[in-house]
Amino acid sequence: MCDIIWCKKEIDGKICNTVNYLDPYCFWNWEGKINCAECGTVYYIHMIQGFMYKGPEERPGEEPDIMPLYADKPLDGYDNYLPGTEGRTRPYNCLPRHIYLGRADMVKFSIRGRPVRGWCPQPPCSGIAGSHGFKWDIQKLSPEVWEEYQEKLKKGEVKEW
Amino acid sequence: MAPEKREIEINSREDTLDLMSPDIRPWPVTPPPSPEEVAAVYAKRKATDFGKWCEDNLRFEYSFGKPEALQGLKVLCMGLWRLGNKFCASLLGEAGAEVINIEPPEGDPLRKLTPFGREEYMLEDKETGEKCGLEFIHEMRNQYSITLNIETEEGREIYKNLAKNVDVLIEEYPPGYMDELGVGYRQLSKLNPGLVYCWIGVRGSWGPYKDKLSKFGQWTLEPFGGCANSFVHNTGFPPDQLPRGKGGDPTRSGVWFADYVAGEQAACSILAALYWRDEFSGEGQFIEVTGAESQMDILDFDIGWYGFNGSIKARTGAWDPNLNQYEWNPCKDGYMMIGGQTDRLWYRIGMCIERDYPQFGRLIHEDPLLKEMGARNALQALIKTYTLTTRWLRDLNRIEAEQKLLEYEIAAGPILFIDEVAEFPHFKYRPWVYTIDSDQYGTILYSASPNSFQMRTPHRVKWMGRPLGKDNYEIYQKWLGMGQSQVNELKDKGVI
Amino acid sequence: MAKDLRVTRLEDLPGPKSKEELEEMKMPYEEFCRKAFDPGNEMTKPQALKGIRWLSTTMYIFTPHSVSNLAELGAEVIKVEMPRMGDPMRHTSPFNECYLYPLHDSRPVTGTGMGFLNANPNEYHITMDYHIDEMKEAFYRLVRMSDGLTECYRPGTFDRWKQSYRYLQELNPRFIYVWGGGFGYGPKVFGGSYDILGQAHAGLASVTGMHEFMGGHCTKHSNWCIDWYSGTQITFGILAALLWRRKTGLGTMIEFSQVQAATRALGYTAPLYGRFGIVRQRWGNWDTQLCVHGIILCGKSDFPDAINPQDKYEARYVMVSAFQDADFKELCDITGNKELYEKYKAHKDRVEAEAQVEIYAALEKWASDKSRSEVVKTLQDAGLLAEPVRNDREVYECEHFRQRGTVRWLEDPIFGDVLQHGTYSAGLMEKTPRRLFWIWRPVGADNVRIYHELLGYPVSKIEEWYEKSWI
Repeated sequence: MCDIIWCKKEIDGKICNTVNYLDPYCFWNWEGKINCAECGTVYYIHMIQGFMYKGPEERPGEEPDIMPLYADKPLDGYDNYLPGTEGRTRPYNCLPRHIYLGRADMVKFSIRGRPVRGWCPQPPCSGIAGSHGFKWDIQKLSPEVWEEYQEKLKKGEVKEW
Repeated sequence: MAPEKREIEINSREDTLDLMSPDIRPWPVTPPPSPEEVAAVYAKRKATDFGKWCEDNLRFEYSFGKPEALQGLKVLCMGLWRLGNKFCASLLGEAGAEVINIEPPEGDPLRKLTPFGREEYMLEDKETGEKCGLEFIHEMRNQYSITLNIETEEGREIYKNLAKNVDVLIEEYPPGYMDELGVGYRQLSKLNPGLVYCWIGVRGSWGPYKDKLSKFGQWTLEPFGGCANSFVHNTGFPPDQLPRGKGGDPTRSGVWFADYVAGEQAACSILAALYWRDEFSGEGQFIEVTGAESQMDILDFDIGWYGFNGSIKARTGAWDPNLNQYEWNPCKDGYMMIGGQTDRLWYRIGMCIERDYPQFGRLIHEDPLLKEMGARNALQALIKTYTLTTRWLRDLNRIEAEQKLLEYEIAAGPILFIDEVAEFPHFKYRPWVYTIDSDQYGTILYSASPNSFQMRTPHRVKWMGRPLGKDNYEIYQKWLGMGQSQVNELKDKGVI
Repeated sequence: MAKDLRVTRLEDLPGPKSKEELEEMKMPYEEFCRKAFDPGNEMTKPQALKGIRWLSTTMYIFTPHSVSNLAELGAEVIKVEMPRMGDPMRHTSPFNECYLYPLHDSRPVTGTGMGFLNANPNEYHITMDYHIDEMKEAFYRLVRMSDGLTECYRPGTFDRWKQSYRYLQELNPRFIYVWGGGFGYGPKVFGGSYDILGQAHAGLASVTGMHEFMGGHCTKHSNWCIDWYSGTQITFGILAALLWRRKTGLGTMIEFSQVQAATRALGYTAPLYGRFGIVRQRWGNWDTQLCVHGIILCGKSDFPDAINPQDKYEARYVMVSAFQDADFKELCDITGNKELYEKYKAHKDRVEAEAQVEIYAALEKWASDKSRSEVVKTLQDAGLLAEPVRNDREVYECEHFRQRGTVRWLEDPIFGDVLQHGTYSAGLMEKTPRRLFWIWRPVGADNVRIYHELLGYPVSKIEEWYEKSWI
């Protein structure tokens, strides 16, 4: 676990220089073969209590048992492979939705179809010294969302639950 | 005087039990830090006066010299099996209320529970030799113990008379059971309009998913509450970190946690109701608190998140998906927890690690994706940060890592087991666990009340769980004027 | 009694005194409860803590929650945050995905993350930089007209700023002052703390998770549960102090260690160690004191075709409880494990560690070709206790919580349509129920209301402070 494989494999005269992260828990005690996310080189590793007891040893021609979850290239502006990049990194399945963003989800309507202020930027709307009243004047502040809401109402997409 | 040396022979686990007793191995094993050592800590941060003021005004040891906040409050506790009623009653008792715990003549089944069924870990009543489980003893604090069989007509009359004169009644029986016997809130509030009556349960005493009994009468117990409110689903390691069936599964709390949450919220609702009664209305009221719901109340944003965009919280093991850093990871001799989310703290953690492991700075601090506080909570950011943090931790013992991180004023701490908790210098000094020399069960190590550190009315533990019916004669005499021959007679009839 | 004993008066007779009362007594119990708690009509009833005003100079979850309980019960709460930035908890959101806007007009693309939800409901939010001498007077004015304060700064910090209890009790002898933090006085007094530190440091993590032989590690409770749970215990301390103050007129100071509160929840762990030197370990999804009473893995998910991975892959777990002899016998019968009942007839025997390993393995084997709902149905039909491990969607859709009003929608005045699972779920009260007005307010949203309307500062002054970023 808790180690990285900094791949130094030379391919076409260029050193791979990809850092493959062996994430904690999964690799804490682990033996098997793992690929580099960039060049696909397969390494055998045997980790005990987080230490590389054996490896990484190249195993040319063999299939990996597992892929890293994440890898990046610090010498190339930190280009990276997110989890689940096909053939390079393994997917991370235990997620809250089938899509994964990792950045703010711009939401205008709750799951029952009513407006919720989950998107930005919001137009300025405070009074003196940052004061706010107890009203969201959506019609004035975000007329396009208000319109969309009226459409939803008409189409019956606004529900109680 | 040096302790006397003696030869011992150990052939089985039983032979070791006596060797561990508090007489031979007193707590604490090593003495706590001295006040002088602690004063030096205050001085380092120029808080000498303030530190002294705190110790002079808040010290645990002074609590018995101070008044009790709830002095004069009378409470009945009527519940079996679960810890909600016990914890609630203990909180009230620790704050000074007079609490009477009523059990059926055969006793609360919780008395019989002991880890892995091992009777040798139960405590024996010095007088009767009767054994009682540690969970029961530890959780029934400052409560008198009486017995009463409310399934008899006479028992119910006695129960009503007791209830006429109390401020609070805590009940934890199956839904509608007391009402059916004619001694529920509906009936008792007529006899005592000022009564604050609190039912505690797992999912509810009413509603389509209320508490059930099995066909054979078995009760619903924790962790059914945690399973109903998504706590269990959301806790544990994901199969992406550990194989399913081998640690990568939804996981319950090691303790009956929802019971504790229900108990403390019940105690809060009860005090709020008393405040309203005494300040405004003179009226009592009915309260219902459940483990599933009161734990749902504190499930962060989980259900609300589903309402936002249909997200269903997934488990993330020992990492928190909302803050970075905020996790524990394995180290040389266990697990090390590190926390620090704002830029100020996050970079300090990095500086600390970088000192031993320069590559950390190269890969973490220079990565543009990790520069913004919110963005650091992305999954890939957690994977990267924690892989490299653990790369550092694998070379360190917990204490080494803690010392290094504390130098940088990081909130960090090792996972401690109970023996380590009991000997941790700070915990011994305050103290957090403490011993009580009980008349029935000998010396007991217990977790102190966290509300013990108060200037005027600190809460305190006066005694732990009692043998069944220990206070029958006293309470029946004092509360109902029933003499011992009457009590004995009722005992023979199976009423008491 | 009537003066003339020959007269029979209704009120002297046992039983109901009026037609309404008679009907109430005759009502089925469940209906009676529903009527008593009357979810949805909380606002028509009084508030228990009417007239209490509390200051919250708090951050994160632990200390805010000690106050949010009061706010739900009817106290007026003023939350003080750092100008422009706000409580750091506003900047927490799961995987950075979920925010509500605006945080503050000066930061148009920054929102308040869902991590802030449930921790500061119903409160007025003002901003103040305590470092500024000029703000001290405003702070003291607040103290003079409030019942108490909860703070969470490192010990000695408020003292340095002349706003610790040492100073404030002079201004207001009825003041109840709470410091909440990780450790409190003692050698680790300056140690910072978070929920997770409480879980780790106090022993809770050491007993949670799968045992090593099951392949597991110490496991974090999903939520900031120790923060919340400890915060509620502070609330309890505050309420007891309020009741005592009714008698004596005196305030107090409470120093509360969140880490310690986690040790308090460990049940038999401390006494077992103290008496026998036994160090309690993790025991996974089973129970150390009861068997069968644990969670088992089933072969198939209930929703194999669902899009959401939590439904698709994870709807596979069932909580099974059959620890009493008759229940265990039935469980063994129905799962084809009669020999296990013969072997472990006494609870004492089946709760032993080796027996548990054997019994749960047999149950999981039986469930290995079944879906979660098949397992639950089979066991429930046999009269046993078994329930699915539910996820957040299933909790949302659960009719039980909807009827009880403990999961409900709220139209927040600033943020719109928000699903709410806190406040009402903390406990149902017949006459003075908890209630929710709004989830939180933008940073400094009530500066004018508090500084001007309550403390009497002219608006021009407030604008000046705002320009200088003092508020």
